[in-house]
Amino acid sequence: MLDLVRIALRGLLHRRKRSWLTIIGILIGITAVVALVSLGTSMQLAVKRSFEELGYDVMMILPGELGRSFGGPTSFGASFEIDTDALSQVEGVGELGLVHYASLYVRAGGNEGFLDVLGVSENTLSFLKADQVAGRRFAPGDRNAVILGSEVAGELGLEVGDTLEIEGRPFTVVGIYSAASRLDEDTILIPLSAMQEILGTNDVSLVFARAAAGYDVGEVAKRIEGFLYRTRGRRDLSVQTMEEVHEVVQRALGILGAFLGGIAGIALLVGGIGVMNTMYTAVLERTREIGVMKAVGARNSQIMTIFLLESGLMGLTGGALGTGIGALLNTAAVAAAKAALGARVLEYGTSWWLVLGALGFSFLVGSLAGLLPARAAAKLDPVEALRYE
Amino acid sequence: MRTEPIVELQRVWKIYRMGRWRRIEVEALRGVDLAVERGEFLAVMGPSGSGKSTLLHLMGCLDRPTKGRVLFEGQDVTRLRPSALARIRNRRVGFVFQSFNLFPALTALGNVELPMIFAGMPRAERIYRAQELLSRVGLGERAKHLPSELSGGEQQRVAIARALANSPDLLLADEPTGNLDTETGRGVLSLLSEANREGVTVAVVTHDPEVAEAAGRKLGLRDGRIAGNNDA
Repeated sequence: MLDLVRIALRGLLHRRKRSWLTIIGILIGITAVVALVSLGTSMQLAVKRSFEELGYDVMMILPGELGRSFGGPTSFGASFEIDTDALSQVEGVGELGLVHYASLYVRAGGNEGFLDVLGVSENTLSFLKADQVAGRRFAPGDRNAVILGSEVAGELGLEVGDTLEIEGRPFTVVGIYSAASRLDEDTILIPLSAMQEILGTNDVSLVFARAAAGYDVGEVAKRIEGFLYRTRGRRDLSVQTMEEVHEVVQRALGILGAFLGGIAGIALLVGGIGVMNTMYTAVLERTREIGVMKAVGARNSQIMTIFLLESGLMGLTGGALGTGIGALLNTAAVAAAKAALGARVLEYGTSWWLVLGALGFSFLVGSLAGLLPARAAAKLDPVEALRYE
Repeated sequence: MRTEPIVELQRVWKIYRMGRWRRIEVEALRGVDLAVERGEFLAVMGPSGSGKSTLLHLMGCLDRPTKGRVLFEGQDVTRLRPSALARIRNRRVGFVFQSFNLFPALTALGNVELPMIFAGMPRAERIYRAQELLSRVGLGERAKHLPSELSGGEQQRVAIARALANSPDLLLADEPTGNLDTETGRGVLSLLSEANREGVTVAVVTHDPEVAEAAGRKLGLRDGRIAGNNDA
């Protein structure tokens, strides 16, 4: 077998230029597959990491039913009233974080306009995982305190200790945060009580709840759902665990990845047809050689093996190079995303199974593309092959 | 005592179908009877198109007759499977062609190794034997050369070494000196004679009177029939 490999290699090296051109066809296909599948994995890993940071023991109570939305800002539209004291009494419920969202009129220095403002209870900051870069967090009794995202602080030219007006009320900047898992850096945070006073309501738009230590999140979520139904008499609120949200997002990313992979697969198919073309030409070119091989006693199966190995090796070489380039592209994409959008947007996504799968698949594509030409070579009539000019 | 012929043709016909719809029939051999005895040196002569090459191909199990039987060492090979025929060609027969038919991508050594690779011989043994055969045909120093780096006579000697690789019983040569000048042709002829002296049965298709002279028996072929059969 090793000797047949050697003969196949000699054949490839003898028509070097054509072999390389064919290999490039496979290379492009495999590069596309590896790069795009890696990108999909990169996004999935990044999403997974953000959810892990947020904590899988966290649940969200928000208006509407699960599945209608991903629980992002789109569900911030509606607000609802909730008895937080009673909610705290539900077995297994730990820390609560309340959020009320609104677009409010903000004036600072010479700037004014509507900006996103979140009214948050004191505990909420621990759910949002904001990185405090200056000042402090909210303290009990804070009424006219504000914490700014670093971006909005920069735009408005505000630092800790400065003041701004929200809906005509003066607020003092007590802190500035940077990147957060669930928070853009252009958001303004004020105490929930201040928000409710401004809007004249006791509503919230979102409740974060943590499962108490030792409790299963899914169980607690079910209990909360039961509590909400008992107290409200209808199912207008849903409880989402991070696991559920994560699953929905992963499913969407999975579909995206499969779609991208499919497109790349077309490129690979074109590469495979290139291999087939080259191998048919090789069989034609070497008809006489095949005749001689048969004359010196090569069996049909041995001739078929030689040609299959040639096409398979072209596939494998293209696959190996393509996998390398695809992995490099993924590294570059991760670096570019970091440079353009800040940290933690993508994770490195080329996995070992993808590398091994791509190598195996490229050998398979090469061999399959070589199957018909190899059969044609094996089935040649020796006398006709020897007579071929 | 008469031994069994190494190869025997019984009323053998070979009809080729040619042309666009394979409608044109060409009768290359028309009922040939021939027995080649072990240890013979046979020359097959005749004008081109008389069926000489076809005869050689049938003797070497490279082709099957349309009608009649071919017995190789007493075995009817007419209905054998392709792999069984390949095995006979590999182990019992050596072919030498007019245009050498060496593999341009393989060195002289690699070309001689080839039949042994197909026979599944271990590498070390193969290389040793190939080197030995090349020395025997006077090319021991040129083992690493590609065919393109060898003269016509040298290439044909490599081809003979390749034909002898698996110690065949029957050596078949189709115009082996046809592409060579007289002097070089003599060298090739002496290699064939030497193989014959060592017990290999040799059958040569030739136009070359010197080759025919060296043979023990001359067979004339005309229009697919045997036209003359005389022992020298």
